[in-house]
Amino acid sequence: MGTSLAKSTMSEIDLEYVVVKIGTEQYGINIKYVDNITRLQKITRVPKVQPYMQGVMNLRGEVVAVMSLRKKMNLPADEFTNSTRIIILKLNSQDEVGVLVDEVKEVVNLDENEIEKVFYDVKDEKSSYISGIGKHNGELISLLDISAVISDKEKDIIS
Amino acid sequence: MDTNQYLEIFIDETKEHIQTLNDQLLIIENEPENKDCINEIFRAAHSLKGMAGTMGYKRMQRLTHDMENIFSEIRNDKMKVTASLVDVLFQSLDAIEGYLANIMESTDEGTDDNEPIIQELNKIMKEGLGGSAEDSSSPKPAEKSVCAVSSDGKFVEKYSQIKIDDSEASVFEEAKNKGMNIFGITVYVQETCILKAARAFLVFKALEEFGEIMNSTPSPQDIEDEKFNYDFSLFLITTESLDKIMESIKSVSEIETALAESYDEILAKKQTEPKEEKTIKEETQETTVSKTNDTAAVKAAENKPTAVQNNKPAAKSAAKVGNRTVRVDIEKLDSLMNQVSELIIAKNSLVSISQTANESGVAINGLHDQIEYLERITTNLHESVMKVRMVPIESVVNKFPRMIRDLQKKLGKEMNLYMTGEDTELDRSVIDEIGDPLMHLLRNSADHGLEANDVRAQRGKPEAGSIYLDAYQDGNNVVIEVRDDGNGIDVDAVKNKAIERGTITPEQGATMSDKDIIDLLFLPSFSTAKKISDVSGRGVGLDVVKSKIEALGGDVEVKSTLGEGSRWIVRLPLTLAIIQALMVEVGTEKYAISLGSIVTIEDIPIEDIKHVESREVIHLRGLVIPIIRMKQVLDIEENEDDESMVVVIVKKGDKQVGLVVDNLIGQQEIVIKSLGKYITNNKIISGATILGDGEVALIVDVNTLI
Repeated sequence: MGTSLAKSTMSEIDLEYVVVKIGTEQYGINIKYVDNITRLQKITRVPKVQPYMQGVMNLRGEVVAVMSLRKKMNLPADEFTNSTRIIILKLNSQDEVGVLVDEVKEVVNLDENEIEKVFYDVKDEKSSYISGIGKHNGELISLLDISAVISDKEKDIIS
Repeated sequence: MDTNQYLEIFIDETKEHIQTLNDQLLIIENEPENKDCINEIFRAAHSLKGMAGTMGYKRMQRLTHDMENIFSEIRNDKMKVTASLVDVLFQSLDAIEGYLANIMESTDEGTDDNEPIIQELNKIMKEGLGGSAEDSSSPKPAEKSVCAVSSDGKFVEKYSQIKIDDSEASVFEEAKNKGMNIFGITVYVQETCILKAARAFLVFKALEEFGEIMNSTPSPQDIEDEKFNYDFSLFLITTESLDKIMESIKSVSEIETALAESYDEILAKKQTEPKEEKTIKEETQETTVSKTNDTAAVKAAENKPTAVQNNKPAAKSAAKVGNRTVRVDIEKLDSLMNQVSELIIAKNSLVSISQTANESGVAINGLHDQIEYLERITTNLHESVMKVRMVPIESVVNKFPRMIRDLQKKLGKEMNLYMTGEDTELDRSVIDEIGDPLMHLLRNSADHGLEANDVRAQRGKPEAGSIYLDAYQDGNNVVIEVRDDGNGIDVDAVKNKAIERGTITPEQGATMSDKDIIDLLFLPSFSTAKKISDVSGRGVGLDVVKSKIEALGGDVEVKSTLGEGSRWIVRLPLTLAIIQALMVEVGTEKYAISLGSIVTIEDIPIEDIKHVESREVIHLRGLVIPIIRMKQVLDIEENEDDESMVVVIVKKGDKQVGLVVDNLIGQQEIVIKSLGKYITNNKIISGATILGDGEVALIVDVNTLI
């Protein structure tokens, strides 16, 4: 990947996505937010936090919160399998957060014309976390709006 | 070369001098004749003036100059210290602090001239001297330190000895043909000057504005490195007149004098007096530098100043042996601390590996011993690093006597501040944050707590109120108490106010305990001051105090007796990063409890649990202690009670609570990690730590449970 990164310009990197599977659907996570991807490991439950927070884990000596996208998007609870992965997202240089996904499939390059913008649909809660739909090899990938996923909209409702 | 490298030193030293001035002014207010004090103030003001001048802070320099002037007169018994003078001096100090704050923010001193203070100072000086002194309302800061071109032989026109090679001579010729002036300049810095490189830099900077500097001797690099005695010489090619240039050199303070001449005159002199010069050279070893091309001579001359200069720092360091400290950037300490933390995590995992090895029957010779050894070292290392980060709270509380003095005048109440335990140490990061909350509490005591003098007299109390600030260590905490012998908190007044404001309903008020009502004071925008003053009573304060202290991992509580006074108890954690903890098991999960708050661990038979006011309590050595089932608090499913249970008795102040856990794992040194900002702040869990096996365990904040 090093060489491809070196060759590609910034805008092309912007359109590289890690394709993951959650439930039956495929989601794309912009690679610029992905710090690394780890196998499932022991997650320590933290009492009395947001319901979608799975807990905290040890990432190379640092404590990182792990959230469940399934719980966040009101999907059936996570099933932990051998292909379950934790994607560590890094929005700014300091804070990391992990998200649980069922499977990591591939990294794809999407052309701008392969991405369709979607608009926020109040009735569909899931759509507020989606920034667009990518089409790749005849499959559809819901592109996640990472800052929306990570932000804490439900906070007020909980407290 | 840049003054920025001196900025930090400047800021630190200015702070120290301001503190000295503050302390000494407080003393002199009571003992106006104290000579030591007057000298101390004079010296501090003088140093401040010099430093401000060096850094080019003209306004600050002017103000300190006037302060210094006054004390110079007082020192010479020409005038006396008066109450009004002390007042103005305190104002001046505040103004200097204002400059310093600006400098720390933007490296610029700001634009406030503080003209009224300066005028006031000069007025007092004039009156003090019986009007005989000349009007010095706007003295030139530098005029005292720079005397006119001297000819008394002490200052040598070294510029005439600068070696000029052919190419340089041709540059000079060319410039001359273009109608530009060339001057040889020798600048002498005062021998008392501390930052002479900085002074020289300012001179260079000033001269560069006029034209091009040539042939600086010593070289600019040597000057920057302070490798020069107290003078340096150079040539300047400029279009300006000599007067203007001299003016600008002299505006830099701590410049003893400057000598200058035009290049033509130098040449003329050289031609007419070559012989004479040689005689001088032979006669006196002083002026080794000559226009001769002999490089060895020049070298010797250059070496000589260095040698002389070396004497001085040596003498200085000898004098400073008493104070064996270094200033270290807090970031470096933080990074050291982080590395120690990682070392401890690594050590913990070694411990865990050796345990599993032991359990599985694989005994490795000596491994256990070595790990224990490593454990001892890391613990000691951690303690040492923590100690390095510890600062006595003195640096925070020493500004309070001054504040109380000002409040006394402002509020028209007599009061005294008594402080103990100023040498109690706290982590540097806590020290930086604790000043404001303590200040709020003191102001609160002075304003709300203490009654007016006449009221106190009627109540049979001494007229002057007393405020106490006591600091001491208590286990893993440092406690700072702010106490007053004032009126105490009027619970009914607070209750009525809360009802009036709609914070609580009258029904709620009827059922609330006194303590709950007092806690209302910590709510945002709650103030019982009947009069709004600029001291307190704007409703900001106590809530800020509470949130700030909680952000530091501490807490604050109030004890008050109506008519007798109140006691505000601030409890702060001693260390922030690594603690000794007891690891316990609740259900299948592991939790850490800070060892500092644990009193004892008890095995309690289930039938010993009693119920009081529908709460579970146990009776232990004459104390009734409420118990908290950790499973309930931590949302863990409860199973059937065993015949007995493990109760960890923890304390906060003099209150105790028993925490029911399932199992004890053991004592361990843990590194506190934050849960990060994505998890909504959960009060019960203060952080997490990484265990030896890599698993994350949560740290229970006992203080929130009590």
